[in-house]
Amino acid sequence: MKILLQIGIVFGVYWASQCIEAILPIPFPASVISLLLLLALLVLGVVKVDHIREKADFLLGNLGFFFVPVSVGIMNYFDLIRQNATAFITICVVSLVLTYGATVAAVRLTCRLVEKKGGSR
Amino acid sequence: MSALLESPFLGIAMTVAAYWIGVKLQKKTGLVICNYMVISVTLLVTVLTVFHIPYEAYFQGGSVINMFLGPATACMAVSIYSKIELLKKNWLPILVGCTVGVLTSIGSILVMCHLFGLDREMTASLLPKSVTTPIATVVSQDHGGIVAITVAAVMVTGILGNLIAPYLVKLFRVKDPLAVGLGIGASSHAVGTARAMEMGETEGAMSGLAIGLCGIITAVCALFFDVFL
Repeated sequence: MKILLQIGIVFGVYWASQCIEAILPIPFPASVISLLLLLALLVLGVVKVDHIREKADFLLGNLGFFFVPVSVGIMNYFDLIRQNATAFITICVVSLVLTYGATVAAVRLTCRLVEKKGGSR
Repeated sequence: MSALLESPFLGIAMTVAAYWIGVKLQKKTGLVICNYMVISVTLLVTVLTVFHIPYEAYFQGGSVINMFLGPATACMAVSIYSKIELLKKNWLPILVGCTVGVLTSIGSILVMCHLFGLDREMTASLLPKSVTTPIATVVSQDHGGIVAITVAAVMVTGILGNLIAPYLVKLFRVKDPLAVGLGIGASSHAVGTARAMEMGETEGAMSGLAIGLCGIITAVCALFFDVFL
């Protein structure tokens, strides 16, 4: 019953998010709305982590599993990937290095500015 | 016979079996390259091809599994919430870092897609590839991308990030655990986070936090994708 209730809460939140997605004038994905909605409910204390812990552990612990069917769809696109293999690999490698570097630099810079501001006070 | 092949139960059972083998093999070898996703997808593609089962038949069961993706994304709220104190304490560097990371990722991919002359479909598939799969796939789909290509790019990025993270740390000569963790999470989501966790507690927590935050920021940025595509 406990697990069943947890499934109910998570699916309920997700359905509410689908409703919000339908109302919103901008195309914002329901899954991200549900993430924000659930986070808000947790912060506000409406939902306690204990209310959904097992369900969340089950879904997050096996997150990869839920992607397997879509990923198998790759079998219909082998030719497309082969044609664009160089671009595909280059884009993955270069964007990875750049994203890491930019994030690290931005964090360092912000931390230094915060420290400076704190020191001058 | 074909009715039996199209039974959703076959697809689900096959997927569970392939996933189970993948997880076992990764645990046994301990190699990042023997990623359980790569193994289970390769196994299923091989079986479907050898037995001439069309993808559409397999996806009768696949779509049932697929239904859980949205609720799984919702549950990422739990992992953000468990680190909420850490987030409150360092909210400014975390937010700035993740935003800059997402913009760099999207910007660099966009420029390279143009340089390689990729079409709209490929570009839309690759743009969100640095963030966690559930968010990357919806963003890709909403903008006319091919979800399977997005998943492949997300996996390649994650595995690469996991493998080269220690070298990136050396290359950019930053040892601050806050910066390193956010950098790994922003550039290579959950697969990279596994490596960040080995580096230290703060690195792991920050990397985990970056997964969800970068996902949210990417979804917000995606509202403007149509301008560039």
